[in-house]
Amino acid sequence: MTRLGDRLLGMILLVLAAVYAASTTQMEVPFSYDPLGPKGFPFVLAALLVVLAVVLLLRPALGEPWPRGVLLAKRGVLLAKVVAVLVVLTLYALAFSSLGYLLSSALAIFALAWLFNAGSLKALVCAVAMALGSYALFVYALDISLPVGQLFGGR
Amino acid sequence: MWDFLLQGFEVALTPLNLGLAFIGALLGTLFGALPGIGPINGIAILMPLAYTLGLPAESALILLAGIYTGAEYGGRISSILLNVPGDAGAVMTTLDGHPLAKKGLAGPALGLSAVSSFIGATIAIVGLTLFAPLLAAFAVNFGPAEYFALMVFAFSSLSVMMGKDPIKTLIGAVLGVMLATVGVDSGTGVMRFTGGMPELYDGIDFVVLVIGMFAISEILLMLEHDLTKGGGMAPVGRVMVSMKEVMFCKGAILRSSLIGFVIGVLPGTGASVAGAVSYTTEKRISDREGTFGHGDMRGLAAPEAANNASAAGSFVPMLTLGIPGSGTTAILLGALMLYNITPGPMLFTEQPRVAGGLIASLYIGNVMLLLLNLPLAGLFARVLTVPRWALVPGIALLAFVGVYQLHSDLMAIFLMLAIGVLGYVLRKFGFSLAPIVLGFVLGELMEENLRRALAMSGGDVAVLFQSTLAIGLWCAAVAVVVVPLVVSGWKRRRASA
Repeated sequence: MTRLGDRLLGMILLVLAAVYAASTTQMEVPFSYDPLGPKGFPFVLAALLVVLAVVLLLRPALGEPWPRGVLLAKRGVLLAKVVAVLVVLTLYALAFSSLGYLLSSALAIFALAWLFNAGSLKALVCAVAMALGSYALFVYALDISLPVGQLFGGR
Repeated sequence: MWDFLLQGFEVALTPLNLGLAFIGALLGTLFGALPGIGPINGIAILMPLAYTLGLPAESALILLAGIYTGAEYGGRISSILLNVPGDAGAVMTTLDGHPLAKKGLAGPALGLSAVSSFIGATIAIVGLTLFAPLLAAFAVNFGPAEYFALMVFAFSSLSVMMGKDPIKTLIGAVLGVMLATVGVDSGTGVMRFTGGMPELYDGIDFVVLVIGMFAISEILLMLEHDLTKGGGMAPVGRVMVSMKEVMFCKGAILRSSLIGFVIGVLPGTGASVAGAVSYTTEKRISDREGTFGHGDMRGLAAPEAANNASAAGSFVPMLTLGIPGSGTTAILLGALMLYNITPGPMLFTEQPRVAGGLIASLYIGNVMLLLLNLPLAGLFARVLTVPRWALVPGIALLAFVGVYQLHSDLMAIFLMLAIGVLGYVLRKFGFSLAPIVLGFVLGELMEENLRRALAMSGGDVAVLFQSTLAIGLWCAAVAVVVVPLVVSGWKRRRASA
């Protein structure tokens, strides 16, 4: 598994270095006060990344299994959970200013707690308590302004 | 030369800053105690809040530094009680700490480790006080070429010392530097790697990067940990320490404090390296009966003294050269830059309130930490029972509020999430995140100094190797990489002969 992981990584890095270098060549520099200009340093970085990626591709395997710390059988479940957490966080971001801090946070806390195996009742209690508690802490104790939410007449 | 310290105590003893030092110590111990959240995550999450609260630079730094040093204390608690290191610096603490707890000596283990942490930190803070102004006075002579060489040295010592895989450490650093090149080039106004997105014209925001890398990727990583299943918590009992135990360990504590301080000062290497080096050293020196690893007090005291010493030591290069001594100080450096303060040799003369206030608060915070960690260790141990399902939403809330406070637009939050995914994937590939942050923080400085040096020489690369100091730094950069290779090759040959 290690070899596969490192090979995959090496390939990705080579592509990245190529894209980075290509993007550097396309910069148009009308003038530059210093001899190196804005392109020189990125080129050095791209070259360095190519060298390191090639070393990674050619060297013998190190002992670490890849991907690290995951049982083969559980990988599908884990991936599904990672995607689910990201979906929750994305929706939280979208709802943050429209639904307002309190409502969007309560929903996000409930979903996250549930994804981390809290059970519905505990997740619900956690969501209500943490949303209200953190709102009080931020707004009243720390004097931070948080979005009220367009739904509730905020901006 | 040491006037800054008096002024520093004036700053640190104001009620606000005393309070912040206390809150920092308290929160730091909590963050350190919680497995998965170390000083680096704690500071990443709280940095934007400290900034938006409108705290002055020195107060924000006192709070964040308190969290850093506090976390090095707190990391021992779950190492001893659960055999799960609370943060990277406390990995070695599990080796003898947990066996002690299993023998029913959890209380004395917590007590002794608090005292060794205190001694380690004290020695290193005194070292910082004495050493930093001298280094700063010396570093005033650094020109762009010397700075460039110094940063190359930082990266090469980083690659050797940090993590198991030097190639990946270097790749991480290069990726970090690449991330730093995004945005308008300050020299010419040319757009670089922005992909036409106006949000990226000013470059990737440090807060967004750090919170994404450390908070969001940590949440994703926590999905696969199921720590509650591990052996269960050892009973704490009364936390106490006897003079006899401390005297038994005094050699281990003193040696490890010095090792920790030196490793902390070396740019790029932090608490985890200090813990590992001190433990292996102490095992070689003291372990005559083979008791290390089975609950030897000295094997517990050594890494704890060292990781706390290295935390204080890593402030030396950060404050005097503007080169962070660890991943965590890289974030503190970034936090200072939010205040338009660029640490460097002039910091002690131009911003004595910041430099002195920080150092003075380290003395005060260290005493607070000892007082907190002796009687209250049992209370902190309760934190370990906080379930993950309550912890994760808390981290998410702080991350969102933090980024939203600085940039109330959706793009910043999406960028944070994207960086979080990137950080998660990199960690799955076996990268550690500290080199990436160091690369990001140093990248801009590195390019700036390189271009300035070349502008002065009219493009002649030889300027980088002209002064004795620069040559010395280049040699050091090469030596750091080559010497360990030669030594291990020599050892192997001797072992096979």
